Amino acid sequence: MTDNKTIFEKIKQENRNALLEHEAKEILRNIGIKIPPSRLVQTETEAVQSANEFGYPVVMKLMSTQVLHKTDVGAVVIGLSSEEEVRNAFADFMKRFDDVRISGVLVEKMVKSGLELIIGTNIDPTFGPVILFGVGGVLVEAIKDVVFRMCPTTKEQALTAIDEIKARVLLEGFRGMPRVDKDELADIIVKLSELAWENRTYISEMDINPIISNEDGLFPVDARIIIK
Amino acid sequence: MAPRLEKFFAAKTFCVVGASTTEHKPGNVVAYNFVNHFPGKTYLVNPKGGQLFGEKLYTSLMEIEDEIDAACVIVPARFAPQTIEQCGMKGITNVIITTGGFSEIGEEGEILQQQINDTMKKYGINVIGPNCLGLYSPALGYDTMFLPVTKLKRPKSGPVSIFTQSGAFGAAFIDQLSNLGTGKWVSKFISYGNASDINETDSLEYVGADPDTKMILIYLEDFKKGREFMEEARKISLKKPIMGIKANRTETGAKAGASHTAALSSNDAIVDDLLDEAGIIRVITWDQLEDCVLAFGTQPLPLGDNVAIITDGGGAGVMASDMVTDCNLKLAELSPTVQKYLDETFPSFYATGNPIDVTGSATAEDYKIALEVAYNDVNVDSIVNICLPCIPDLDIDEYIKVTKHFARRKEKPFVTALIGGDEADKAAAQLLAEDIPVFPSPGRAVRALGMLTDYTKYLRKHGIDPKTILVEE
Repeated sequence: MTDNKTIFEKIKQENRNALLEHEAKEILRNIGIKIPPSRLVQTETEAVQSANEFGYPVVMKLMSTQVLHKTDVGAVVIGLSSEEEVRNAFADFMKRFDDVRISGVLVEKMVKSGLELIIGTNIDPTFGPVILFGVGGVLVEAIKDVVFRMCPTTKEQALTAIDEIKARVLLEGFRGMPRVDKDELADIIVKLSELAWENRTYISEMDINPIISNEDGLFPVDARIIIK
Repeated sequence: MAPRLEKFFAAKTFCVVGASTTEHKPGNVVAYNFVNHFPGKTYLVNPKGGQLFGEKLYTSLMEIEDEIDAACVIVPARFAPQTIEQCGMKGITNVIITTGGFSEIGEEGEILQQQINDTMKKYGINVIGPNCLGLYSPALGYDTMFLPVTKLKRPKSGPVSIFTQSGAFGAAFIDQLSNLGTGKWVSKFISYGNASDINETDSLEYVGADPDTKMILIYLEDFKKGREFMEEARKISLKKPIMGIKANRTETGAKAGASHTAALSSNDAIVDDLLDEAGIIRVITWDQLEDCVLAFGTQPLPLGDNVAIITDGGGAGVMASDMVTDCNLKLAELSPTVQKYLDETFPSFYATGNPIDVTGSATAEDYKIALEVAYNDVNVDSIVNICLPCIPDLDIDEYIKVTKHFARRKEKPFVTALIGGDEADKAAAQLLAEDIPVFPSPGRAVRALGMLTDYTKYLRKHGIDPKTILVEE
């Protein structure tokens, strides 16, 4: 396990300001946030081994510093449910992205669908590091149902933030959806706020979007960390 | 460490530097204020010498032998740096600079302000201003507001402390409070202008710790120390209510960033959530501020969110009911005995649910009956007393008597809406003259209760009994 400061320093030395998803997730794992099983692989065989180990379906994402908006260019494939599909996806990535520098392919256990939430941090010119919680997903910027707190955040403050979103009814098991584990969610908010506060000289922005809440628990599905 | 503003207000010797002999000039007004009202010793400085208001005009600070605890500097901006230097040499560590013409006017003023800042640091001087009204406390006879009483009336001593970034807002609001009810409202007023040193967070610390301040009213456009302000507010709001305006809501939008979070981080979205989280009741418009003073300054906090509405107009009752929902309040379900009593007492065409509509046939006696049972009902936490006095059989003088009676009980918040023309205005004036909260519309009356109830809810959420918060002695 590489510690977070070492990761940030390495990224800075490489003159990058955006962490790759697997790097961002390593940071989150380091602070005790549970991430779905995933591994960065270099070969088709490794990809298949990992998929077999995690269990199907899996998701595969191309990790490259030249491909930051992965979904836009087809660098994310979801719902791969067999060894054959994993092999095909891997081969397809290598063919389509043969002109970019590839750090590897992230193979990840696919998370069941559920309620999509967002937790993120930013540096406000007045208040310094702030954390946001709200309704996540691709429509997050249109829906704008979010609540802010200053970092670092106490668990109590995180819990009140959770209860202040307009769509809070969604968290209580709306129309047969599973209830959101608010206690666990608050713990994640606190951990991320502490990460943003302690590393405020490195981190400028973070997103965990979406973090999916389903019948099995809470799962950060995508993570983004931007450093200064 | 004691809040830095305490040293200003605790001064036993005060010096007005730039005391003018020309009537109504700022240096003349402030000299007048201190010579006539300040219980400590006042020294006046004017390089020309002579006398003013029977006091000696010292030609220089250095001529004064006594120690000076605090000073107000009212000299043109270009003379300010050397005056502050003299203050430093004289050992004065608390200085109010009311004059404008500094960082707020651009580069030239910026240079002057920088000179002052350097001198301030060199001597360890606490500075209020520049470009401000300074401090006012009627109980302490402390008044650096440089506008004469003929233009800016002074409110008398009371429970509210105010701090403001804008001097003009402060002046107008102070004038307005002098005209509200008995005018007995103000404990401390702080206008810190450019906040070269003392800022919003120092002000909050001071009024938070000040035992004479029972409620805090603020006007801010930005924060010098945002994090500290919010942390301080979170502590103070559990002891006394903080409310007010954070203007400049649209100035800074979110910057496009690489993340969704950055795109959603408009400064005001953050400010709004942080104010709310710190227990500060945010209002948007000027009229709401006066409503805050009336509600928090005269009424107890409600112990729940159940509202009873008594009205003689159906429409006004419906609008009040709508506002009850908008303010996250509830229409109280009257107790069965109360309901039964009303049904048996009132004519069948009166609506005896909630709102209790005593209709256009109402008399003052009907109001008395309805208000009495609603007030005494354990299911009711607060009362809205709505009257459209244009109805034929209502004796307005009797109605005023009834309203005064309930407004003075102060076991539950009781607000009145008087709606109409001349008769409504006159009745409202009579009630307001005794600091009884009256509003010109049902919405404003209910919203005042909404603010009180929001504060009760905030206190309860943090395990504080709202009965422990006493704005009024």
